[in-house]
Amino acid sequence: MNDFDDQLRTLLPRLRRFALSLTREPSSADDLVQGCLEKALSRRADKNAEGELRAWLFQILYRQFIDSHRRARRYARLLEFFTGRDDYPPSAERTVMAQSALQAFDRLNDEQRALLHAVAVEGLSYKEAAQVLQVPLGTVMSRLSRARQALRLLHEGEIQRPALRILK
Amino acid sequence: MITLPPTEHDLHAYVDLRLSPADRQRLETWLASHPEEAAQVKGWQKDARLLRSVLAASPLPDNPALDPSAVRQRRRHRYQQYLGRAAALVLAVAVGAVGGWQARPGVAPMTDALQAYRLFAEKDVLPADFKVGAGDSVQPWLDRYFRDAARLPDLERAGFKAVGARLLSTDQGPAAMVLYQDDRGARVTFYIRPPGPGNKLLPRGSRREGELQADYWSGPGYNYAVVAPVEVAMKGLQIPL
Repeated sequence: MNDFDDQLRTLLPRLRRFALSLTREPSSADDLVQGCLEKALSRRADKNAEGELRAWLFQILYRQFIDSHRRARRYARLLEFFTGRDDYPPSAERTVMAQSALQAFDRLNDEQRALLHAVAVEGLSYKEAAQVLQVPLGTVMSRLSRARQALRLLHEGEIQRPALRILK
Repeated sequence: MITLPPTEHDLHAYVDLRLSPADRQRLETWLASHPEEAAQVKGWQKDARLLRSVLAASPLPDNPALDPSAVRQRRRHRYQQYLGRAAALVLAVAVGAVGGWQARPGVAPMTDALQAYRLFAEKDVLPADFKVGAGDSVQPWLDRYFRDAARLPDLERAGFKAVGARLLSTDQGPAAMVLYQDDRGARVTFYIRPPGPGNKLLPRGSRREGELQADYWSGPGYNYAVVAPVEVAMKGLQIPL
């Protein structure tokens, strides 16, 4: 049991960074990690290899992110209906510490950020990434292609913000 | 083994270091003579490096709440709270069942008035819905809920003043209990509720249950009771009825 805790502790920074890439906001990122840990502890993993455990945790975290996001988006739509506001701005903290690379990354859509983080930052295999995102391997490949192209265009400054909405 | 020219999949696999060394070698040779694809791959590599340096190296502030042992403890705590709530619910259902059974016909009249006294007057379990301030009177408050009911008894001569009131719900309908108190802290309650679906009216009567005595009767539209400790009732409250 404590062995499991130690494994979790080791993976904690990775989990937090993945959550940050998803939420783009430190405090909600940690909320997400907390929820993920609670789930993980309640489910009692029998994952031995660290890589396996990491993909499993990432999957839980991503699932939770998507679920809460769906709720939030529904709420945002409602809010938009009443207030006429449409976009919630990225957090000031994150923007301040962000460099231009991060700004471009933050503009990608949720799935693209999740995938690029898993593959390019964490070095997960395509198969593991498919497990985390709960999509077929083929979808991972086509998404990766689109994500990389979008990021490239953003870095080259070819796309302005309004066009990005269409990309989503 | 990849085939040349490479698919886009192969190019991504190259960027993500997912090709075998031999394939890697072949692809690099091919890219050397295909500058357009080479530039594309280089761009992707640059982006990936940038993301790694920015995302994987970002400093994280300490957050002790995320330590597994802290998470475990919170889970345990929540589980206990959940058990507590479940127990409270069971208790409430049990009280309701006993109360409901007590209110059946055949049960001693105005048992609920005695229960209300025990619960609210003796034990001060719940705060009053209405507290009597200086110059206040309970009567208007009561009239809001019970139309054309008998007037509150004046217990002044026995030394009791109304201090507060509480609404209750019973099987027979909404009830109210008015609490009287004298200088020594003795308490008497006046209880009013509808006769219920059976419209069961009570012959005037009085009975004792433990330390308490209940005087009950039916009046305009409602059943009434005055509940008092036996020694107070013995002295006579001189209830003008």
